[in-house]
Amino acid sequence: MEFLYYFDEVFEPIALMLLIGGTIGGLILGATPGLSPTMAVALLIPFTFHLEPAQGLILLGAAYTSTVAGGAVSAILLRIPGAPANIATAIDGYEMARRGRGALALQLSFLSSAVGGVIGVLLLIFLTPVLARWALAFGPSHLFWLAILGVTIIGTLGSGSIVKGLLSGCIGFWLSTIGFDDILGVQRFVFHPVVSGGVNIIPALIGLFAIPQVITIFAKGRGRTDLEVARVASHPIGAAIGELSQRPRALAIGTVTGAIIGLIPGVGGQIAGLVAYDQTKKFSRNPESFGKGEPDGVIAAEAANNAMVGPSLAPLLTLSIPGSPTAAVLLGGLLIHGIFPGSDLFERHPEVAWTFINSMLLGQILMLVFGLYIAGAAARVAQAPQQVMAAIVLALAVFGAYSVQHSMGDVYVMAFLGVAMYFLERFGYSAAPIVLGLILGPIAEANFVQGAMIANASVGLANYFFSGWLNLTLIAIVLLSIMFPLVRQLRFGGTVGAAKI
Amino acid sequence: MTCIQRLLPSAIIAAVGVWVAYISYTQEPADAFLFPRLIAAGFVMLAVWDLACNLLGASVPAPGMDATAALNLAPGMLVLLIYIFWGAKALGFYTATTIAVLTIQLLYDPAPRHLFRAWGRRCLITATFVAVMYGLFAKLLGVYTPKEFFH
Amino acid sequence: MMRWIFGIMLAVTGMLSLVAAAMADDAYPERPVLLMVSYGAGGATDFQARIVTLAAGEEDMLAQPIAIVNKPGAGGRVGWNWFATEAEADGYTLAAYNIPHFVAQSIKGGVQYSADSFEPIANWGADPAVFVVGKDSAFNSMSDVITFAKENPGKLTFSGAGLFVGHHIAALQIEKAAGVKMAYIPTKGGGAAAMKAVIAGDVLAGVNNLSDAFRAREAGDVKILGVADLERNDFLPDVPTMMEQGLDVDNASVNFRGVMAPKGTPQAIIDKLAATLPKMFEHKNVVKRMKAGGSPMHIMTREEVQAMWAKRQETLSELLKGL
Repeated sequence: MEFLYYFDEVFEPIALMLLIGGTIGGLILGATPGLSPTMAVALLIPFTFHLEPAQGLILLGAAYTSTVAGGAVSAILLRIPGAPANIATAIDGYEMARRGRGALALQLSFLSSAVGGVIGVLLLIFLTPVLARWALAFGPSHLFWLAILGVTIIGTLGSGSIVKGLLSGCIGFWLSTIGFDDILGVQRFVFHPVVSGGVNIIPALIGLFAIPQVITIFAKGRGRTDLEVARVASHPIGAAIGELSQRPRALAIGTVTGAIIGLIPGVGGQIAGLVAYDQTKKFSRNPESFGKGEPDGVIAAEAANNAMVGPSLAPLLTLSIPGSPTAAVLLGGLLIHGIFPGSDLFERHPEVAWTFINSMLLGQILMLVFGLYIAGAAARVAQAPQQVMAAIVLALAVFGAYSVQHSMGDVYVMAFLGVAMYFLERFGYSAAPIVLGLILGPIAEANFVQGAMIANASVGLANYFFSGWLNLTLIAIVLLSIMFPLVRQLRFGGTVGAAKI
Repeated sequence: MTCIQRLLPSAIIAAVGVWVAYISYTQEPADAFLFPRLIAAGFVMLAVWDLACNLLGASVPAPGMDATAALNLAPGMLVLLIYIFWGAKALGFYTATTIAVLTIQLLYDPAPRHLFRAWGRRCLITATFVAVMYGLFAKLLGVYTPKEFFH
Repeated sequence: MMRWIFGIMLAVTGMLSLVAAAMADDAYPERPVLLMVSYGAGGATDFQARIVTLAAGEEDMLAQPIAIVNKPGAGGRVGWNWFATEAEADGYTLAAYNIPHFVAQSIKGGVQYSADSFEPIANWGADPAVFVVGKDSAFNSMSDVITFAKENPGKLTFSGAGLFVGHHIAALQIEKAAGVKMAYIPTKGGGAAAMKAVIAGDVLAGVNNLSDAFRAREAGDVKILGVADLERNDFLPDVPTMMEQGLDVDNASVNFRGVMAPKGTPQAIIDKLAATLPKMFEHKNVVKRMKAGGSPMHIMTREEVQAMWAKRQETLSELLKGL
């Protein structure tokens, strides 16, 4: 309960102003396509130079939590996930918005983000040392299987056909190997100079999700589009809370899965939302409604990706190991003030450590308040006429893809993948497994190569990747994630969750 | 028609898969292609399976393409391609965006093209949007696009 | 007659453009300058680059801010390739360099740059490589490590951040000096991932950045057995150098970080930058932040960096010849 003593620091005028500024700024940056939470936090680092350590961290903590939640806004309204963590949100969130329930989707996403986020931070507060040890248990072989699992889950989940889903995942894996091999520096599959630096994740994410959307609107043609414009039902917040309280299962599954998976260094944050979505669908009474605007899908995904924020910082705060790129940037924010995270951080700099954690706790509440306020206004975006949406999404995609590393090449790759994806979607392939393959490919490869080297110097390849309870459990889950839907598909003649994203 | 349509993407993907596998298993140094070999095996296997499913007509039905949709999307697609592959760099991001946003609205707006009010609305939307983008990216985030607004 | 007119026109145009160029250099910089970092946000190079460019906007420095752009991938190759081939040599695009990384990569081949593709401006930091083991490890000195490696050739796994980077060079030098074969495991994701492998016990030991290792030791997670530099470091006065422990390892693996421009940048701009940047690095706010972050500073002028680059080129060519 020590953290309660430091709460007054967060309520000082300057601190509170920073917290509010960080939250609002974070929501806006998070909702901007192309700006991942990592970039948003990195952009804020220079501002913290001029602040006291605790104040700087308040700003960063608030921005981190709210960018993750802000990514849901563009995922729901424009079907552009703000960050990989929001991919699962886009599946049902966008369907809800299309059916005129955008306001509800946004409200649910912020409410479940806040619930998940608060529980995640509380876990961080009470269980940090235990959590950090648990995170270390994952060695190269486990991370490899986990990355594979991420792709098999989405491959079998996101598309009508399991073969096409897994094939899309393989395409994603292959795309991730284009460019330089990270370890030996050999160029692979460089068939055009534009991809000599590899396929960058964020532009690919934008292209694969946003461009097919734009072309779909084109394909409907001119005229009569007015009939398709969804009426946005304004939705009272009380009713949204009521809706959420009737769906405790999705909320609980999302929060627990997010918190556990978020801990795992490197892989966690990316797939927390997806695994939670998958689990919720499996345990749901009506799994066939997923992908067609099921509120449970939004709740689980958003609860998970914010529940992961707290625990993902446990390895950083106690072991000084940044578990994710965002945590690495936060480490920078700590270091410039001469604060070294480590097991004794809470003894040496209690005021800083606790203020930081408290700011994330309070940041969740503020995020909820501002988020709900924005939700009402932002939902109207979905009401904009189709041709305006198409134009705006296209331009946002171009700017978003360019701004990641100021590269025209990224914009070309974005456009090429997007146009190709439109046609592939028409033939039953889906974007989500490709993106996941692209994101998890480097993780799988790095851990595979590293594991193979360690194995060759020690116990041998088969022994290293296929023994130990953690490896075996993960392999079992990978196999189950393929077999389970496959059996169902064969039995029911291919009507498994026609979830299309 | 639909059969050929469905086979085409599968065949293209299978061809890419075979190419990936060929490169992975022939290029040196082999150490750099360990992981590509692993995935190429899965890639080719799944691609062949998918192709077989389509040949036997056992695959999950998909919407496919039809002539109306193709005709409808053609002009928009043209604007998209010109905007991205030529305009953004040659004219500068902001000029190209202004033109593209206005053209797309013009092409797909159901309102009659000679209606004065509709023109006013389109221009207003375009101007507001480009101003917001300029403020956000050029001023706030400091993203330096190939050409700034006016030069 | 025509030839005359043509000649005069040519001369006038030439003069005009000269004047214009001179004026442009005088006014430089008129807009913000980009600094490309070939590692991701949050890495040590990115973090330090953001700090040392803090003061750029001040009137007596460049009077324009320096913005950081990250182009990560393949141990820096993606970014430096871009810089060597596509960056405009107008002084508005600069890059951070890491020695020995890019020199080693260019010797190994497969990239589109070498030390001749770039113009060094100034150096801001030097981060030596150190040898670390987990806190419960049986190794307590470099000689323990070497003894184990001699008894178990190729079995001693130790991590480092990639191939042809400072850590790898240090690893090669240690193996060569001791005449042993060990299993170097390159990790992806910089020093942090390599450090995680050591702390989690995935590998038996590791080579890492002094700054990261220092923090990990403060946190009680690792032991530091030796520094691969010519003398002991101020941050770790109790840790002996490799030389002190009888291993002939010099400072070739020390990670120097600084700023460079593409070849072809106007000399006037290079001179202005070379005069301004060291001053900027010495700014009291910069020094304070760097010290607080545990990042060792080492400011060098353009001439000193040129000499250092030339020396590294020689040492590394020799070391990497067998590979």
